[in-house]
Formats: sequence, structure tokens, C-alpha cells
Amino acid sequence: MEKVDCIIVGGGLAGLSAAYGLASEGLEVMVVERGDYSGAKNVTGGRLYLSPIRDIYPELWESAPFERPVTRELVTLMGDGASTTLELASDCFATAPYQSYTVLRARLDQWLADQVMEKGGMVITKNRVDEILVEGSKVIGIRAGADDIGADVTIIAEGVLGLLSSKVGLREEPLARDHALGYKEILELPSSVIQDRWHLNEGEGAAHLFMGEVTKGMMGGGFLYTNKDSISLGIVVGMSAMRERKEKIESHTLLDAFKELPQIRPLVEGGTLVEYSAHAIPEGGIAKVPKLFGDGYLMVGDAAGLALNALLTVRGMDFAIASGFYAARAVADAKSRGDCSAAGLAQYEQSLRSSFVLKDLETAKDIPHIMENPRLFTHYPQAVSGLLEKLYTIGPHPSQKLSSTVIGGVRKDFMNARTLKELYAMRKI
Amino acid sequence: MDIVVSVKTNLDLQMIRIKNREPVLEAIPYKTGDLDKNAVEAALQLRDAVGDSKVIALTVAESNRKVRETIKEVLAMGADEAVLIVDPALESTDQAGVARTLAAALQKIGSYDLVLFGEGSSDDYSGQVGPRVAELLGVPQIGYARKITAGGAGVLVERSMDEFIETLEAPLPAVLTVVSEINEPRIPSLMNIMKAGKKPTEEWSLADLGLDPAAVASSCETLSNLAEEQDRKHVMLEGGAVDQAAGLVNALLKEGILGR
Repeated sequence: MEKVDCIIVGGGLAGLSAAYGLASEGLEVMVVERGDYSGAKNVTGGRLYLSPIRDIYPELWESAPFERPVTRELVTLMGDGASTTLELASDCFATAPYQSYTVLRARLDQWLADQVMEKGGMVITKNRVDEILVEGSKVIGIRAGADDIGADVTIIAEGVLGLLSSKVGLREEPLARDHALGYKEILELPSSVIQDRWHLNEGEGAAHLFMGEVTKGMMGGGFLYTNKDSISLGIVVGMSAMRERKEKIESHTLLDAFKELPQIRPLVEGGTLVEYSAHAIPEGGIAKVPKLFGDGYLMVGDAAGLALNALLTVRGMDFAIASGFYAARAVADAKSRGDCSAAGLAQYEQSLRSSFVLKDLETAKDIPHIMENPRLFTHYPQAVSGLLEKLYTIGPHPSQKLSSTVIGGVRKDFMNARTLKELYAMRKI
Repeated sequence: MDIVVSVKTNLDLQMIRIKNREPVLEAIPYKTGDLDKNAVEAALQLRDAVGDSKVIALTVAESNRKVRETIKEVLAMGADEAVLIVDPALESTDQAGVARTLAAALQKIGSYDLVLFGEGSSDDYSGQVGPRVAELLGVPQIGYARKITAGGAGVLVERSMDEFIETLEAPLPAVLTVVSEINEPRIPSLMNIMKAGKKPTEEWSLADLGLDPAAVASSCETLSNLAEEQDRKHVMLEGGAVDQAAGLVNALLKEGILGR
């Protein structure tokens, strides 16, 4: 069996980040990607938080093909017939260095693949890894078509479902309850229209999340990100919530209905649909992170469950890039010591533990459980909007005092035993 | 036998969208010409049949980035060396300019017995470059090659004519252009792709070939590149499936599309 220093299964951000680090160290690295190009198979909402990873490969980000820095944050709580939008326009988000950017992965991933090849790494597209080769407890390489190729270390960056790694027992089979379905449309709009519609200065971007009626009360939400000349509009919905719903609903109808909502229609008006895609998203939190390393292998990115939906912030790409970076460092060290066993690679998990990756996932460990409560997506958006609706209403009858409206509304919707218990449970998040 | 194969990188036409009647050429992935891969495969088979031969892949482009994947691909398929002619002046060349560049490159390479081309490129399919190169070099040229065998005075070539097959013999050196039925191009293995990066690759500019940028400037000017506009009739058929089907048949009859 022919052999290379390191094989990376999957050419997304995690795999490419690892490849970039390894190629920079002069190691022989082969990335195998099944898509026509890196990013071809990817579906991402569209926002990368750069702040946590700015110091990782600092030379890269200056020239990265980002879309727009996010300077406006919006969230809409959608009740049935009334919704409330919070908009944050913060000076600190509107000043460089920007904390986050909207991205289109087809562009970003191909660019990163180019950077890997500049450093001498090989990114091989249009080739699928069929099997991870294991001997005893040791991962020894891959099988792709008729080729068996060996490697000192195999970095598994195969993405969310982990089909290859679960097949050989490196992680559990994926379960619907730990995943959400994400799907989105990219709608082209002229840059000036985007800036007008979202009140943006030239080049700036907005991120808008939606909760509640958008998913018919199922766990999940809607998102809208502004790119340079397009918007990414989509929905994320828990797979279990979809399955367990009594009145079955086809997922794509949610997005159609979303676009038809009176507050969304004028925003997407005139947009040309240029892309439609769907993908699974890991939502199991730290409890579902598999064993991250073993003899001859490491797991990075979505394949390792490194993603975090914290309602107002949805992250995964920063974790992917960081895990790839730490994986490359661990492999380079292991290679220089000539020990690619689990013990030799253990440094990888230690670095993730002392970095934001596992720390943030640990901090957010109770979020998946809290999000299982459907009332978060039904009762609360409705209650907030209902109360505000009352405050804004002038009817034919004499009005109540503002304070009585507020107290009455809060008492009715928030001061009951069930809600108090839920709010108390939320202290953990 | 020294075999030079000319390969071209073009945009992946299937990825091009039309917007405001113009093709959107931004961020379209590159692709190696389909027939060029047949030419490479033919060269490799001939090399292996003849023995003591080598295959040199030759390409022309305005940037290294554009042809990088193509060169990697043909070296991974099995070509022994690659020669890239890269010059920004080639951005706006035409078939005559490409032919002059290739002919100059072949003269610089010096020793070649066969020069293989695809019959036409996957984008323009003008089929001009091969014959033009032969003319510039003053060597025989055979098109529509569906089978190539070393032998006779040099090579025996079966030409695929629509109604018959013509067999010609040519002395070497010669230029051949191949059609898709000649073979099924091989798909390179992963290890061969890895090793492709280490094969000898030369990069020359126009100046290295003693060519002036003016010599490759296009003699054609693009006046318009607009997609044809078609008015749609915007007929909406009402009712259930049965009524709609009947309505559709009626409409097609009225247009004279059915029942002619």
C-alpha cells in the first residue's frame, strides 16, 4: 500500500484548515473531497464568526473572500398574527476588526483550497473516500475506489453525518434527535437594493434570525443573511420535531410560507433564485461530541459534532477552522516525535479543551435540552408579541393604564408556575 | 516516439448562467477539454504500445492558475512532462494566435514525432488550432482520427467520416486531431494525482518563445454577446388536470405545433 504523511477525508473548512497547517509545516498532505470543488456540497447559513479565530492563520483573513461584515443584528419573535423584531445596530460591530462576516461557502472553500495548494498540499476533488481502513484499533488509511492509500495520520473531516467513521465504530451512528435540517435559497439582488432594504452602509451586512411561527412552533428558526449581491434565506428545523409533529408538513413548504409572510415578502421581492440546497446540522451539543482522537486518527469540524446553536448565535465554521488548526499542530508534533498513536496525538484534545472550541460547547451544554421545549417556539414569541400588541392598541373603549396592561400581560403569560419553572431552568444557558 | 498533446482549459459551460441576456462568467469553475482528454489517452496508449517514448502535455493560457488543474489532471493520467505557455497577453488571443504560440513552443521543444489535439475545444469548437499548427510547422495533418497505430511510413490513422472510414498513412512528424470514439479516457488514481505534482513542468512566457504580444493579438472583435430573446406567451390554463390537458392540446393545435 502506497503511503502519505496525512490523509484528510473531506475538503470543507475543517479539512482544509488542517491541510493548510500541515502543508505549511512541509508535510505531505492529501485532501480527498467528493464534490466537484471544495464547498460544492456545502450548505451553510452564511455567517462566520472571525473573532475567535483571528489569531489562527492571521495571514489568511486579510485576503479571504468574505461577503459582508455583519454590522446589524436582528431577531424576530413571530407569534401567530403578530411578531416582534429587535434590531441592534452597534458601533462596535460596525468598526473594524469586524467580529463576523457573511460568507458563501462555494467561494470561501475554493479559495482556501487554493491557499492549501499554494503551500504544496494536494486537494483532490471529485473523488469519494469509500472506507476508512482500520487495523486492530489503528486507523491506517483510506479506500477510495480501487485505491488503498496509507497514512501516518488520517484526519476525519467528513462532515455532519459521520457515515464513514460510524461505519468503523469511531463514533456513534447519527440520530435524528441530535440533528436539524437546514435548507436555504440564495436570492440574487443588486448590492444597492440590499443596502437600501436593510439600511446598511456600503459593504456592510445584516444578519436576521426568526423564531416561532416561522417553523410552525417546531424547534428551529429562520435566517436571513445579506451577501454582496445576494441574500441567503433559509430555515433550520429539528429533525425530531418534524417527525413528531402530528400534522405532517413538508419541509420546503415552511420556506415557501416564510417568503410569503407580509414582513418578508418586501425584503425578497425581485430576488432571482440562483441556488437551493439542504443539509443536516449537528445540534447535539457537547454531549454528542465523539472521541476526538485515537491511534492514527483525529476528528475535526462537523464530523466531531463541533457546532453550537445558541439561539441568537449559530456557530460551526469557526469551530471547524480552529479544530483543523489544532489537528494540524498535533499531527505535526506527533510526526516529529515519530509517535502517531493515540498517546502521541492526545495533545489535540487538550488544545481543544483549553481553547474556545470545547470551552464554549461546555458553557452551552444545557442549551440542547432547553431547546427541546417546544414552548420556546410557540408560547414565548406569541406572549411577547401579544403583550406589545396590547400596549400599542387604541380601541373603542377607554384604555387601561400602561402599567396595568404590562402587569396583567406579564402575570398572565409569564407569572404562572410552568413558565416560571422554565425561566428558572433557562438560568443554565 | 516523442508525443506532444495539446490541451486546453475552458470554463465549465454547464455552470454558466445568463443574466440580463449576458453570460455570467464570474466564479465559473475551469474544466479540461473533453476531446483533449481523448487525445491524452491516445498519446498514452501509443506511448505504451511503441515503448521508449514519452508524452509531453502542452498548454497555453493567460494565467498559471487557470491551467493548474488541467496540467495536474493530464500528468496524473500519465503524461510524463508538461510545458505551460503562460502570458497575460494570451487573455485576448484567438485561434490564429494560439496556433502561432503552440507552433513556436513545439519548435522550442525541438523533438516531436506526433502532435495530438482534440478535434475541437469544449467551448468554441472551431477545430482550427490543430490544422493551423500543422500548416505553420509544415507537417502533414490528419483530422477525425478514430484509431492511431504506429507503422507504415510513420502512423496509420483511421478517420471517422460520417458514412465510411478512411485509412491514411503519414510520415512523421505529423499533427493528428482525434474524435471522442477513439477511446475512453482513463480516470487517474489518487496516488497518481499526488505524484503528478512532482513531474517535470516547464513554464515559458511569449518572450521565451521569441514571440511579440502583438503576434498573438486577436484579429476579431466581439461586438455583441447577447442571448437570444424569446417572447413568452404567458398562457395560464385553468381547471383540473383533464381540462388543462385538453386546453394544452387545443393551444398547441392552434399554434400549429400539433396536427401538422
